[in-house]
Amino acid sequence: MSGNEKSGTDMVHCEHCLQETNRASAIIVKISGEGKTFCCKGCLGVYELIHNNSLDAFYNQRFDWQPGPPATEVKLQASAFSDTVTITGNEHRIELLLSGIRCASCVWLIEKFVMKIDGVVSIRVNYATHKAAITWSGDKVSLDTILHGISSIGYLPHPCHGNGTADLFAQEKQDLLLRFGTAGFFSMQLMIFTAALYAGFFEGMEERYRLVFQLISWALATPVLFYSGYPFLSSALRSLRRMTLNMDVLVTLGSLSAYCYSIAMIIYGGEMFFDTASMIITFILLGRFLEAGSRLKAGNSIAEMAELQPHEALLISESGATVMVPVAAVQHGEMIEIIPGDRIPLDGRVVEGEAEVNEAMLTGESNPVLKTVGNEVFAGSFSMNGRLRIRVIGNAGNTLLAQIIRTVEDAQARKAPIQGIADKTAGYFVPATIVLAFATFFYWKITSSNTVTALMNAVSVLVIACPCALGLATPLAILVGTTTAGKRGILVKGGDIFETVSKITTAVLDKTGTITTGKPSMTNLHDYGLSPSFMQHVASLEAASEHPTGRALVAAWQGERLTVTQFRAIPGKGVSGVIEGTLWRAGSRAFMENENVQIDIKQNAHTASLEAEGKTVVLVACGNRLAGVIGMIDDLRQDALPLIAGLRKKGLALMMLTGDNQGVANYIAARCGISDVQAGLGPLEKAAVISALKAKGECVMMVGDGINDAPALTEADIGVTLGHASGIALESASVAILKDDLSLINTLIKSSSRCFSIIRQNLVWAFSYNLIALPLAVSGVLHPIISALLMVVSSLVVVGNSLRLKKI
Amino acid sequence: MSSIFYLIGIGLFVGVAAWFLFIWAVKSGQFDDPEAPKYRMLDDDDEPAKAVKPIEKKSP
Repeated sequence: MSGNEKSGTDMVHCEHCLQETNRASAIIVKISGEGKTFCCKGCLGVYELIHNNSLDAFYNQRFDWQPGPPATEVKLQASAFSDTVTITGNEHRIELLLSGIRCASCVWLIEKFVMKIDGVVSIRVNYATHKAAITWSGDKVSLDTILHGISSIGYLPHPCHGNGTADLFAQEKQDLLLRFGTAGFFSMQLMIFTAALYAGFFEGMEERYRLVFQLISWALATPVLFYSGYPFLSSALRSLRRMTLNMDVLVTLGSLSAYCYSIAMIIYGGEMFFDTASMIITFILLGRFLEAGSRLKAGNSIAEMAELQPHEALLISESGATVMVPVAAVQHGEMIEIIPGDRIPLDGRVVEGEAEVNEAMLTGESNPVLKTVGNEVFAGSFSMNGRLRIRVIGNAGNTLLAQIIRTVEDAQARKAPIQGIADKTAGYFVPATIVLAFATFFYWKITSSNTVTALMNAVSVLVIACPCALGLATPLAILVGTTTAGKRGILVKGGDIFETVSKITTAVLDKTGTITTGKPSMTNLHDYGLSPSFMQHVASLEAASEHPTGRALVAAWQGERLTVTQFRAIPGKGVSGVIEGTLWRAGSRAFMENENVQIDIKQNAHTASLEAEGKTVVLVACGNRLAGVIGMIDDLRQDALPLIAGLRKKGLALMMLTGDNQGVANYIAARCGISDVQAGLGPLEKAAVISALKAKGECVMMVGDGINDAPALTEADIGVTLGHASGIALESASVAILKDDLSLINTLIKSSSRCFSIIRQNLVWAFSYNLIALPLAVSGVLHPIISALLMVVSSLVVVGNSLRLKKI
Repeated sequence: MSSIFYLIGIGLFVGVAAWFLFIWAVKSGQFDDPEAPKYRMLDDDDEPAKAVKPIEKKSP
């Protein structure tokens, strides 16, 4: 496994991954009487699994595979990691990001393997974040050994520099969890004593028990208010200083006045509301905690997207040798090498080599693009089958990918809290209540000249005005609305979204993967009768091809496949192979012309007419004559038309955006009846189209699914992703529909207008309760226990009304 | 009747103990990765024997 020194004769190929391995370190196992060599236990395990399930055919089908140089041959530079190591005494600790983790058994393999290295104290691999935390004793083993150990089993370690925002969110979430948990524990204890006190109010209780229970309640409520409630207290204080009153002021006012009133009641003898004070805090903290969780996810996926950009590049030095260096160290104009299967670390222009590059994450185009000398390649895309040398353009900070990440981050920050309805009204309600309380105090002070009565009446105004129902009105309806929607597979991320969805005027749809299936399927077939089983031959030939077009053709034939020998795939052109003694070829028109296949006028016309419709055309040759022409297109989804009809019925303007070419765009737009089409747009251009619409005063909903849609999704008032959207699209959208069902977009629009109207009803109720009860409190009529009851009833009405949302 | 005070004391003690346990759990990262533990329990502690046990489908 030390792949450094080797001589030609000592090397063997691993049976599973075809990588070259030193004979001395290879694992040799007898399977079915034959000695097989493996480079590592992982490969052996996979081989055994495949073998024991009688799937050995897999190994026979890949005769044209090139044994690619494993990532492990890349010289890992421990120095690139050294700044992330923390040393305490002899104990060294590092966090690594591992690429190549696909499933839980990868985690298992890495953990077991690294623990076997002498000197490693502990390793924990986080399956969710692909981060490994390793501690080892510095005098027994070097970091180099550990890194090589990990890479020898096929996982590539990267230095983990930590993502500022994600770490911050994680800390915030942990902090909120502590505060909420504390509030929960103490509130539960508090409830026991409050229940006893309530019973005592009706049944009577001994004075000494009463006093003890009250004191315990006080002791239990204090940490809830001042530790758990600290975020509200400090935010309320800040907002008071800035003279902009928000919801936190209401929460603080409500809980603090109940708290202070109760303390006064211990002294003067009366009913207490410590439970009210702490329950307000507990419930609102729960909402905050859930919100922090979804924000943490958003932060993580930005970090994940940043991971698309590799941290190291293979720099080609002047002497021609390749060295692994941090991406940041690569300058404009330097040359780097990209090995097959690797992500491209920087934007650049190809100077040597040829490869098909998958740019799906940037363009949404599912077909790999052939890149040859002179073509531009982009960071984050990956080379599927060839070795490239590129000259770097710009640096790590200004790649296209980095620009997309920045756009998304900016948009998310800018979008931050829209002031809710309750927040706006709090601006009038809070000062009015405070003024009223003061007025009550002075009125009773002057008329009865009894300070205690005056104070009690003033505080009771604050208690009755306690905005429990008002505070619950919006968040509760949203909580119920979002969970109900969530059960149907619609994830709504935030309260203001329901409000915005009900105001939408324009719906913008992405083409690939949203209106269309995202996979090409066969639409036209011209069979020239050279072979009775044309499709069978085509499917057999394409079966070994990795190309999406090829897979579509394989899917078009359900029957038995024929044996293909001498299979060859020419990147970007086509495939060829021998079936039943005849040479069959399938590929582009250029490929056929290159290979001198005869194409007559009729066949040429077929090809040209299909191309004009924006279709992908595959020509199939049997021997030297053209056997058939196949047209393929990424066609409409079945549920696209009902969706479009539904949106149109709501009176929304419709628009289609795509990164694809005009021909395909026009074909699809005509089929679904959208007249407003813009084709050939890059990720940032899509976002620009959206902001132009917004500038015209439209309220825009964008539906998309790829990373290339992410900037547009954040830019839109409402971004909706669908089905198996990429992680970043999922997080930059405000609504994520998890099921692959377009009709749920119509459900979303319907349920949000319903949720919004319930919120309005709740607010009207909460306000009218306060308007009626307040005058009574001012006049000193309300007995505290009755006002407490009223408060509970008011909250229950809001709760009950919100629960109606469960039935959508 | 003073037994009620003992009972209150015990009740409070248990509650506060659970609270400390919770704080310890949060601080030591028990809530950090909710994803892996459910798979981890399927792992064996020892090196797998020669016989293959299919744990997960693994793409080659």
